[in-house]
Amino acid sequence: MTARPAAGAARPGADSVRDGFVGSLALVPSVFVYGTVFGGLAAQTGLTAAQVLGMSVLVFAGASQFVAVPMLAAGAPAVAIVVTTYVVNMRHYLMAATLAPAFRGYPRRWLALIAHVINDESFAVAVARSRPPDAKVYLGSAAAISGAFIAGVAVGVALGGLVERPERYGLDFAFPAVFLALVAVQLRRRADWLVAIGAAVLAVTLALILPGNWHIVVAGLVVSLLAASVLPVDAADEGDEECA
Amino acid sequence: MRSDVWLVIVGMAAATYLTRAPMLLALARRPLPPRVRLWLRLVPLAVLPALAVPLVLVRDGRLALGWTNPALWGAVVVFVLAARRVNLLLSVAIAVGLVALLRALA
Repeated sequence: MTARPAAGAARPGADSVRDGFVGSLALVPSVFVYGTVFGGLAAQTGLTAAQVLGMSVLVFAGASQFVAVPMLAAGAPAVAIVVTTYVVNMRHYLMAATLAPAFRGYPRRWLALIAHVINDESFAVAVARSRPPDAKVYLGSAAAISGAFIAGVAVGVALGGLVERPERYGLDFAFPAVFLALVAVQLRRRADWLVAIGAAVLAVTLALILPGNWHIVVAGLVVSLLAASVLPVDAADEGDEECA
Repeated sequence: MRSDVWLVIVGMAAATYLTRAPMLLALARRPLPPRVRLWLRLVPLAVLPALAVPLVLVRDGRLALGWTNPALWGAVVVFVLAARRVNLLLSVAIAVGLVALLRALA
């Protein structure tokens, strides 16, 4: 991505849609591959192509889709999967709140559609370019990112159906591996480590006694709420720009 | 595969939309309270390990802490690589390869 002055860099008009699109092209290959990996792994668990693509279009939130697929395959209760999805995606509230001022004056029915394409990568691109973010830059980026993700899923579904006995290639391990990698890049302060380790220990303990995968939501909410109520609040201002 | 997959997908879509739309439609004038922002930032940090670590350490309802658990080695490798800012997908691919290798050797 090209480095630009943070303030006032975004020009008004249709140009900035293209700026957002072009500024996101550097992310397109990795989003595409991420989609391919998801599509391939999901297809191997026995979901149909329509289900995998339908989930990707309707939910359009990669991390939570990675979470849901092994839960679906393991027979977790539907409510547990939906609640877990909600908790994993709660970070969108932060992004939507930061984006909201940029969209003043847009018709509400457009906003209802634009809300659906809120994603981590476009948020990062738009916020890196200007503060507050520019609405058109954001929309251009969302077009590039959503196209890359859906295309990647489609290719992955086609390829994934070809692999038999995925566990032989360690592919079932790709799910926890993706989650661990996402945690590792977010750990910055000592408090972050305490939250992550505390949640892991509580989740393992609960997993041994609770049925139906509820340990994820319970450990995730209990530990994050506990930490948020005891940690100094000034820690909140930093880091809201890149929540995976 | 189970019969309620589409129901789950629609439920996931609704739950996710509920995390995206309200703040945008309300055109929030004020930023969220600092403590709420802190909490929302910490949620993924708690949920992701709560998700991943039991997948690695709990097998058939029992703790699998032994060094013969291939997933444990894979977890250590992917965590260290990602923490050292190795590309996410490359980190995952290396760990997956290691797990496959250890399973083949076992």
